[in-house]
Amino acid sequence: MLETIAAAQTPPLVLLLVLGGMAKVMTAHLDTEPNSLGRLGPTALVPPRWRGPVMYICAGGELLLAAGLAVSSAPLFRWGALAFFAISTYVLLDLRRRRPDVGCGCFGEASDRPIGWRTIGRAVVLSAMSAGTVWVPVPALSVLSGMSGTTAAAMAGGLAVLALLSPELDDAVTRLRYRAPCEQRALPESVALSRLMASAAWRAHAPFVTGDRPVDSWRELCWRFFVYPGRGPGGEEVDVVFAVYLSGRRPPVRAALVAEDGTVVVATPDAAPVPVTPG
Amino acid sequence: MTISRRRILSAAVLGRPAAEPGPVSPEGERLTAVAGVVRDAGPHLIVVETPGGEEERLIVAPWATAWQGAAIEPGEIPSGATVIVRAIRDGKIAERIWVNPVRITGTIVSITPDGKDQVVELDCGPHRGGREVLIPYRASGRLRVRHPKFEPGYLFDAIGERTAEGEIARLPATSQPPYRASAVPPPTYGGAQSHISGTVVWSDGVGDGGPGAAYPMLERSESGCDTSGISCVGLPYLSRGSMLTVRNVCTGRTSVVPIVACGCLAGRFCDRCVECGTSPRGRIAELSAVSFVELGGELDKGCFNARVGLG
Repeated sequence: MLETIAAAQTPPLVLLLVLGGMAKVMTAHLDTEPNSLGRLGPTALVPPRWRGPVMYICAGGELLLAAGLAVSSAPLFRWGALAFFAISTYVLLDLRRRRPDVGCGCFGEASDRPIGWRTIGRAVVLSAMSAGTVWVPVPALSVLSGMSGTTAAAMAGGLAVLALLSPELDDAVTRLRYRAPCEQRALPESVALSRLMASAAWRAHAPFVTGDRPVDSWRELCWRFFVYPGRGPGGEEVDVVFAVYLSGRRPPVRAALVAEDGTVVVATPDAAPVPVTPG
Repeated sequence: MTISRRRILSAAVLGRPAAEPGPVSPEGERLTAVAGVVRDAGPHLIVVETPGGEEERLIVAPWATAWQGAAIEPGEIPSGATVIVRAIRDGKIAERIWVNPVRITGTIVSITPDGKDQVVELDCGPHRGGREVLIPYRASGRLRVRHPKFEPGYLFDAIGERTAEGEIARLPATSQPPYRASAVPPPTYGGAQSHISGTVVWSDGVGDGGPGAAYPMLERSESGCDTSGISCVGLPYLSRGSMLTVRNVCTGRTSVVPIVACGCLAGRFCDRCVECGTSPRGRIAELSAVSFVELGGELDKGCFNARVGLG
């Protein structure tokens, strides 16, 4: 029975190693904010120029261990996983003492919350799971292929314990519950442009547009504006202005032909009311 | 296409009136800021040459005061000095004069002792570059009290004067935030708001010195640098050319100010202004000295509590 439970923990172990490795690669690759790696462990402990490489090395090690645990029963990977999580536990304890402001970085940027006892507890549980795989060296794929009811229950239990000890899940739930309003969310210009191209307002005003690229584009609250050079119904030079609302599945798009002096030559008739944040 | 045309085009396409920059129904006497170089100064009259080459002759009010690192008499203002004058009665009567004021805001890069004084090298953001400032021994005490982490990597903000020898810090602007410049606290969830309360400061690096504001929450493609879009206040995205309706809560004055630059550095300050009561945390905008003075702000104080309407 105990051997079944120990063997059943290999797939959750592989899953966490894969997720952790991929999240670290993404964080090191994107580097979305300046010095974001300086706020994540263990890269916070090394000089700035080494932070990127250390993150990649850490991710590579995790992915290698995950691959080994998934397909092989070689002791190298099992002892490697045990050593990895045991050292991680020590590093987390040390980080908590030396840099209480940094996150563990276990899942890259998602783990930016200061290290707490849940994070350290998770590393201890993962060390125990790794010790179990040393004791019962069964590859994760073999465990999944020969799944019994006991194995499934033990695996679910292991995943539940890991979920309870993962503060990242709390953050994910909070992000879903309290999503930033549209005005504060970043949205690439290309997405807004594709929404514009698919709109009826674009088709209606395309005959007035003389250039194939917008001459100006800017964001204001939940609107993105595109300006194209164009000619009005009387042949005069105008700016063809489109405003794309950045929220919703079928966002409203407004358009107007504006003369040099700022007067509106042609505008889209008002359809549904569109929220405009008052100034 | 100029940035100022964005205001007209966005108003036209959304069918709303285009907001005009300038004061909005001022309460009390309207204030005018006159910036330029002093050609002649006396106890009763000051002559200022503006950047446009015009000569402004202002009567010095009997109650007028001047500041040049410390309070001085208006008659002591040297010719050739750069001044910003707060004037009333359509800009004809000077009641407050700041002489060679400079706002020194940045991230500390290095601190070098120079006898008893200190020379601080600052990184003032991607658009303003670096600058060196001298902290005289006499000012170091009051500056260190407001900058407990006086070391590289932390933020620095002071008000001083520009002299022939360089820029000299005289007063701390606000209390230094207790985190590194690279570790700005994330904003708390606040939902969509049409007005945001916080602190508004002035800077000498906003646009060409005319009316305008620097705003932190610009898209990186708009600001042209990778350090914008960071703020500890939940600010919405705006662009250069968008209008801010800034209300100085302390004086009750409101003005519509165009965004002309990126406030990349202002977004890193999660501090408060205590000019009249305690403001919520976070700098919403940096105003040019002219816009700041016209809203009733005191340049030697550095900030005012503000309520800002967006878009």
